[in-house]
Amino acid sequence: MFEQFLQFVINGVVSGGILALPATAFSLLYGILNFPNFAISAYITAGAFLFYALNATLHLPFWAALSCAFVLSGFMGVGVDRAVFKPMRGRRHLTLAIASIGLSFIMENIVRFIWGNELRSFDLPVARALKFGAMRVGKEQLLILLTAVGITIIVQALLRGTRLGKAMRAVADNPMLASVKGLDSEQVIRRTSFIGAALAGVSGIMVGVDTIVEPLMGFKLVFSVFAAAILGGIGNAAAAVSGAFCVGLAEEVSLIWIPATYKSAVGFGMIVVVLLLKPSGLFNRQTAR
Amino acid sequence: MKTKQRLFRKPWLGVACFSVAAFFLFAAGPVQAQEPIVLGTLCPLTGAGGPYGPGMEKVVTKVVEEINKNGGIHGRMIKLYHEDSQTNPESAVRAARKLIDVNKVNAIMGTWASAVTMAIAPLCWENKVFDISVSGADAISELKDDDYIFRTQPNSNLQGQVHARFALKSGWKKVAYMAVQTPFAQTFGDAFKAEFEKGGGKITDFVIYEANKASYRSELTKVLATKPDAIELMGYLPDSTVIAKELYKIGYEGRLLGPNYAINQKLVDNVGAEVAEGLYSIDPATNPDSPAHKHLKQLVADADIHAYSTQSYDHINLIALAIAAGKVSSGTGIRNTLRTVSNPPGQEVGGYLEGIKLLSAGKKINFQGASGDCDFDDKGDILSRPFSYYQVQKGKVVTIGRLDK
Repeated sequence: MFEQFLQFVINGVVSGGILALPATAFSLLYGILNFPNFAISAYITAGAFLFYALNATLHLPFWAALSCAFVLSGFMGVGVDRAVFKPMRGRRHLTLAIASIGLSFIMENIVRFIWGNELRSFDLPVARALKFGAMRVGKEQLLILLTAVGITIIVQALLRGTRLGKAMRAVADNPMLASVKGLDSEQVIRRTSFIGAALAGVSGIMVGVDTIVEPLMGFKLVFSVFAAAILGGIGNAAAAVSGAFCVGLAEEVSLIWIPATYKSAVGFGMIVVVLLLKPSGLFNRQTAR
Repeated sequence: MKTKQRLFRKPWLGVACFSVAAFFLFAAGPVQAQEPIVLGTLCPLTGAGGPYGPGMEKVVTKVVEEINKNGGIHGRMIKLYHEDSQTNPESAVRAARKLIDVNKVNAIMGTWASAVTMAIAPLCWENKVFDISVSGADAISELKDDDYIFRTQPNSNLQGQVHARFALKSGWKKVAYMAVQTPFAQTFGDAFKAEFEKGGGKITDFVIYEANKASYRSELTKVLATKPDAIELMGYLPDSTVIAKELYKIGYEGRLLGPNYAINQKLVDNVGAEVAEGLYSIDPATNPDSPAHKHLKQLVADADIHAYSTQSYDHINLIALAIAAGKVSSGTGIRNTLRTVSNPPGQEVGGYLEGIKLLSAGKKINFQGASGDCDFDDKGDILSRPFSYYQVQKGKVVTIGRLDK
């Protein structure tokens, strides 16, 4: 009985791991650009399909394809920012958010146009899970967890330790003051867009490894990602990871008590509760924005 | 003098009146005979039903080509409009609106998913458009549709019983039922449960899960904790693919049975032969020995002939014969005359060209289709269908048996 509970917890942690990367990307982008960038669902899908093109079509091995897809997703993010969001700098948050939704539709359909609607899988072997007593942890799941934890540590180091990280935090906090101090906010935005899109792309690859690849895959995740980012505290990239694990755990563990039909309701329920009780998120200080 | 001057002052008015009068005089007559008969298809070209839609659309196109080449229906050509339902109710409703309001079709053929058919059904009966589909949900029979909604797929109640009997025959004692959220998830499950328990089996779990989720790990953890011998998985292709992979990773040793529209060659190609080995599936069978099926083989390539495109062949032939018999091409006309050409008594025919010869000679016909007898009850459901059993063996979906009505 306890082992079964533990299995749910493991499932929840893994789910959280899948959500951690896009939630971090989402929060990073929100922090710098000051609006919820829903095009993240398209970055997830595009990253997975880029990996598919490299891995299944061009037959590159896993790590080579992953690195290439990471870089390509990043450049895609920069390109999208320059084409769509740069002309709209300074517009209201709502305008930009709506523009990002429209952008996600366009990008999703470009993917559909090139690759079609069919389900695909990567050219990777499906392996049996590792057994710990009565519990199962898949090898892919461990990989996803390690990647999520590893990248979180790297992002944290980036934000706290490097000049870019400090610049990102400065621009996020007060763009005008930052530019007075001589920070090139456009350059910071470019680099953040690269990192955000690249992270989202890698998370898309993880989802594809775990499940299937199809044009809707990013869209299916975006609400849980949004919930995770809000839960952690939107704009706080470190807290986004904690938010992701909370959402993942809640969605999976809740299945012990509620029917599977209502799984999505848990994520939405959490958004509602958090926004009602502590809108700045569980881990953010109350800041006036 | 004055009158003449007044008319002369507005010559355009006279011309206008004359034109309107001429239009009404001539419109009612010969123009009617040349007016094309407008029909529409709303097949799943993309989405979960994507493997089947293109074949369905192609079959209807080819049959219509043949009919038009042979003089159309009483001299009127059939004009076809095609739309993609995307196996998605929202998109399908938009497409159906376009077909009905813009293209003014009299009938819509080929909706596949039950959710799609349920979504467009009110549009059809409100606009007196005839609709015939390949959807299975019981709920479709219960619609207050004024008899405009027909289908050639056996309902989910019957399908549930057939699956349960297969499970009993295979010697499975404990089965867990898992289904994706659809209009028939509950009714199929209830029918399956009732029949399986009647035969002495035990249902260990009954789970209806959401579509479009990235993982089903916890749902499966819960189900496998009840230790079933086999899982009855009524999913669609995307979620069934994910679940099949998950079960393999978890190390599940039991059996799995599902519908052939989900557990098909596409799933096998996606998960690989090792993961898919031994998976069972069932689908309504076709009538390969019927004259209709043989005729269908002459029209399209074998790759396009499957459980749903055979039904499409029957749909277009039934509609064409109904229009020919009743000499009215509206949706209401088709509805009123369809059973006169589909149900016995009558001379059995397998296609439009055969049927029109007999109809013109004043004889009554009974269309026997490529998918089955195509005899409809008063709710627009078919009376019976044979079924086929399949299993994945060494990476290929293989037919292992058949259940005739």
